[in-house]
Amino acid sequence: MKRRFAAAVIPLTVAGLVVSACSSGKSSGGSGGKPVFKIGYEGPLSGGNAQLGLNMKYAVQLAINEANAKGDLPFVLQYTEADDQGSGDKSPAAAQQLIDDKQVMAVVGPAFSGATKAAEPKFADADLATVSPSATSPALATFGWKTFFRIVADDNAQGPADADYAVNKLGVKNIFAIDDASAYGQPLEQAFENQAKKDGAQVTHQSVPGTTQCQAGSGNTQQYPAVATTIKNSGAELVFYAGYYCDFALLAKALRQAGYTGKLFSDDGSLDPKYIEQAGASVAEGTYISCACADITTNPKAQSFVTNFKKLAGFDVSVYSAEAYDATNVIISVLKELGPKATRAQVVDKLRTVDYQGITKEVKFQSNGNIAGSAVYIYQVQNGKIVSLGLSS
Amino acid sequence: MCVTQHFWDFFVSGLANGFVYALIALGYTLVYGVLQLINFAHSEVFMSGGFGGLFVINFAIGSRHPHGLSSVWFVLVGLAAGAVTGGIVAYILERVAYRPLRRRNAPKLAFLISAIGMSYFLYNLAGKEFGRDARTMKPPFTVSPNKPLFTVFGAPVNLYDAVIAVSAIAMLILLDRVVQRTRLGQGIRAVAQDADTAALMGVNIDRVIAQTFILGGLLGGAAGFLFGLGTAGVSYTMGFTPGIKAFTAAVLGGIGNIRGAMLGGLLLGVVENLSSACFGASWVDVVAFYILVLVLLVRPMGLLGERLGRSA
Repeated sequence: MKRRFAAAVIPLTVAGLVVSACSSGKSSGGSGGKPVFKIGYEGPLSGGNAQLGLNMKYAVQLAINEANAKGDLPFVLQYTEADDQGSGDKSPAAAQQLIDDKQVMAVVGPAFSGATKAAEPKFADADLATVSPSATSPALATFGWKTFFRIVADDNAQGPADADYAVNKLGVKNIFAIDDASAYGQPLEQAFENQAKKDGAQVTHQSVPGTTQCQAGSGNTQQYPAVATTIKNSGAELVFYAGYYCDFALLAKALRQAGYTGKLFSDDGSLDPKYIEQAGASVAEGTYISCACADITTNPKAQSFVTNFKKLAGFDVSVYSAEAYDATNVIISVLKELGPKATRAQVVDKLRTVDYQGITKEVKFQSNGNIAGSAVYIYQVQNGKIVSLGLSS
Repeated sequence: MCVTQHFWDFFVSGLANGFVYALIALGYTLVYGVLQLINFAHSEVFMSGGFGGLFVINFAIGSRHPHGLSSVWFVLVGLAAGAVTGGIVAYILERVAYRPLRRRNAPKLAFLISAIGMSYFLYNLAGKEFGRDARTMKPPFTVSPNKPLFTVFGAPVNLYDAVIAVSAIAMLILLDRVVQRTRLGQGIRAVAQDADTAALMGVNIDRVIAQTFILGGLLGGAAGFLFGLGTAGVSYTMGFTPGIKAFTAAVLGGIGNIRGAMLGGLLLGVVENLSSACFGASWVDVVAFYILVLVLLVRPMGLLGERLGRSA
């Protein structure tokens, strides 16, 4: 009885496997013989920073949908994603997921600097181009990865621009600068501090590790009252926080409770309406936030992007949506030029010489992957909303 | 020196943190006393108390801006909601994760793994159901920033600290009375001292153990609400670090010793704050654990010793 059963099952199983292998082979060919090119997105899709990741994901999808709808492509574009939770621990695995999918021709991302640092060696080995809309750590351009590109100006521009603004425009002489001990916050704070000291301000620095509210940090959510007391006792007129919005909200609340009356200043990691929600409108009022990203809603040429994004995502464009849109479109323009026989290595080489007019800026890359040209914008929380004050100088 | 200037500022805010640690530490110590088990899922009891308090308070407050006597009422509602949620989760933990193992006389390691597994399950469930972002709690009282309630030796005490301190002290006194004066307390102390003899004396072991878990859960859940109040935010990951810190505090004071857990919690809160003042926030964990190691080297049973059975 057993032997007969096995004799029936085995050929059936083999047949089933053969059929499924054949059919999956067919689907990978794409519809009507056109190859399928996937553009991958790597960023935080879960965890405390998920909102920043979602801002970019829908922009990538929108660009792909629009390109497919035009109907003039010799290939079919598809979207795929990998969630790295914005963390350097999770990003190598997420990167491997994208690398292993042979249809992925280029990646928009990784969104965060720490994640990029951990994953880029894998991408470089696999010759898979990554165009990051938001990783701003300056060090990323120094490792010699030929697959690394970024649309956004790095913190070497943001830090000093912030320092100049604080000392020269806001006129503060006593600054307390804090970093969240992350690959993003630390170099930004360093750049800020160096420039602020050059401008003649007195800067006290402390490293306060980010907590698990925002990222996989080692800090303790209850540590902020003590830090706030230290800051208040130092007589600082301005607090500069290099980190992300959840922890900045906790710090801001603790500062106001401790009786600190000076100014608050943070960077693009805090440029999110959730900062106002988590800190409370009265605490957040007047906070300055800098970003190398422009406020796309005031750009008349980008109105259709703003409307279509809202239709697709269900929420308004936010920080780095436009940069992610441009990053995707740069990749699509390169793939169009290379045609249906494009390979990953060709994409990398073509990106090196691309010159594309995006909705945020003209996209041209330096030899180390940095964007050519830079600008930093200053925003302020006014009446519960984030308002653009324009360029920092 | 870093501790002579503004010492009281840091001491007072350290006490506020310390009270939260003390309340959580009691959960660990009570369960260890009766079961010789470290309930690693207790951090999730704390977290669920935070969410329970958050939902009830946000629903109760609605769009009001409470002040005066209604604030007191809302705080009590929040505490009760947090405590009840914590108690329920703790009871479920006991029935689902530990009692079946007790029935089978499982080795101690199985309890440990069950605890860690439940911890992962609960906090991932919370993350999936309640979202990954921190949730804000509507304040049950209006606080004017920059104006402390009163000062102690020059240290400003704001309303949040005062509420946390008063609630915590009330609950600690209540717990002390329960353990010393009631039959339940007698039962807990008996089982902690010698479970077999207690059973021979007619103590229902299973009931006492379940009630111990509930007691620890009530305190941990209320601590979750107070924590959310102080930081005005509750998130699914909020249990992890305070749970570890509170467990450390319980060991510092003497694991199994109720007054030890209270002392350990307060001490740890103050030491953490002072080390933040002296060495900077990134050194806090280093200093805190270094002190724990030193204490345990000199006194391995903790500051106040280990026995719950004795009336200390």
